[in-house]
Amino acid sequence: MTTVFHPLVKRFLDGELHLADLPPELHAEARAAERLLGAVDRAAVTLPAGLDARVMAEVRKRATAPSGARRWWHGLVASREIRVRYRLWTLGPALAAAAALVLLLTPARPVVEAGMPVVATAPESVFVRFVLFAPGAHQVSVAGTFNQWSVTAAPLALTGAAGVWTATVALPVGQHQYAFVVDGRRWVNDPAAPTVDDGFGRRNSVMAVGAGVRAL
Amino acid sequence: MSPLATLGVTAALHIAALGVTATAQQPVATQLAGRVPATVVVAVSALADSAATRGLPVEPLVEKAIEGGAKAATPERIVAAVQAVLARLGRAQGALQAAGVATPAPDAIEAGGFALSAGLEVGNVQAVALACGTRYSAAVALRVAGTLSALGVPPAQTVELVKQTLRSGAKERDLLALPGRVEAQVAQGATPGQAAAGLARAAAARAAAPGQNRVPPRGQSSSHRP
Amino acid sequence: MGTRTDGEIVRAVLAGDTEQYAELVRHYRDRYARFAARMLGSADEAEDAVQDAFIRAFEQLQQCRDPDNFAGWFFLILRNRCLAERRRAVRAGPGGDAVTVPATERADGPLEQDERRRALQQALLELTPEQREVFVLKHVEDLSYEEIAGRLGASVPSLKMRMHRAYDRLRERLKDVL
Repeated sequence: MTTVFHPLVKRFLDGELHLADLPPELHAEARAAERLLGAVDRAAVTLPAGLDARVMAEVRKRATAPSGARRWWHGLVASREIRVRYRLWTLGPALAAAAALVLLLTPARPVVEAGMPVVATAPESVFVRFVLFAPGAHQVSVAGTFNQWSVTAAPLALTGAAGVWTATVALPVGQHQYAFVVDGRRWVNDPAAPTVDDGFGRRNSVMAVGAGVRAL
Repeated sequence: MSPLATLGVTAALHIAALGVTATAQQPVATQLAGRVPATVVVAVSALADSAATRGLPVEPLVEKAIEGGAKAATPERIVAAVQAVLARLGRAQGALQAAGVATPAPDAIEAGGFALSAGLEVGNVQAVALACGTRYSAAVALRVAGTLSALGVPPAQTVELVKQTLRSGAKERDLLALPGRVEAQVAQGATPGQAAAGLARAAAARAAAPGQNRVPPRGQSSSHRP
Repeated sequence: MGTRTDGEIVRAVLAGDTEQYAELVRHYRDRYARFAARMLGSADEAEDAVQDAFIRAFEQLQQCRDPDNFAGWFFLILRNRCLAERRRAVRAGPGGDAVTVPATERADGPLEQDERRRALQQALLELTPEQREVFVLKHVEDLSYEEIAGRLGASVPSLKMRMHRAYDRLRERLKDVL
């Protein structure tokens, strides 16, 4: 049979009751409870001095690593000597303005070294070409985790072939969910890609991009 | 309107000369302002707090809310979807811990959540994490497992394929190529399960060959002392 | 010595001044060490946990919603780290990794006190992490139920329920030494 404390003794342990509040028949049990609390080790603990240095060593490593939620994918990337960083939502005439805007907003770090060429010895994004055959559509775009599901950020353009819409978008290395948006309101999956439930009654297409490897 | 047919996506990969930085450094409410109704901002902020205190990544919650706003979902549906993401992250965290990862990294938790959303169960996530040992990233393996499941490979065959591939000492790049290889065989008439089973058998044969580096299962969580 | 708030330091770190993080490490390295030691059973384990928690806190610093309450947020990260530890095997026998016992006057003999202290630490490790946590916060860190509830986001009744189960398990486990 398990030995348990009387409910009143538990309240005594909690500090809600004093010994004098308990009936005499519970005093022995209450003293056992006092011995339990008396056995609690409340000694302060001081950690060794080397802890600070070890923490800061790891912090400095992480501070110089590529930032962002997709850091896990960087096992695919050979090196990290990217001189200039841009965020590209669309290509074309808006490129220069977008790049300049991002340079102003990103955290301060040296982005261009005077006299050094722009070198990408390791990509952190790759260009992916999206194609959708949608005859009769008036506008098509692709929205996904790579552009915060914006229905306007990555428009596709009609190519020469009737009904064929295309766009080339720079996607950060990593895994993405996406869908095509037709005429601003109809969400269409990519039939060539696997899909997952989006939680809104539809499905999202899934694509993973790595340096030189498209893993669906 | 005629039904839409697609030619599919062709991914012409060109190595970009430019890198990309992610910029998710704003509070949740700021990220959601203007994208979802105010009631959703409040609800998701609370869910994000809960996630943060539990050691779960917050970004997937914000992403799902933004997605719901873009898809014009009702506030109730957006909150429900975010709650579902949070629940999956929690279950993924539990599965990783059960596999011996004392403090799962956010990317592994997120990958586990994705695997669950793609149809795998908690036990499958745990099994994949266990199979990674100390040599492979659980995040990568779980992403691959989720993608295989999303392709239609049944959970048991998904886990077996990933396990055998890891056990055979394959490089991470080979792991990442698995969904494409399954798809290639499906294009030739195999079911996803059949394709996966065949690839698993081939990997097992490689693992059984003499001289292979076997991956030990994950053991004790490591004490962190650099 | 500067008198900057934690919020100012956190914002400086987020802006890129990584070295400022060392101040936060210095401030809080020992503050929760006792909690971690009682939760995990040894100062060595506590050291690992506190170190891991600081690194994780740096990695997730942008998610700290109230930088002026870095302490509370850091505590939760450390707490999660402690809770996530796998259940430890019961350590047999005296000594081992036990933290130094303070020598204070007791009504009982010192040997009996030492035995109880070691037995209690071992018994604490046999509780569930949630039971151990509420016991440590209340009886080691001297927090009230309301304060614990505020820190953990739990309700007072649920905390009391956990605690009372802990009392029963401890009494059963320690009945030979109490």
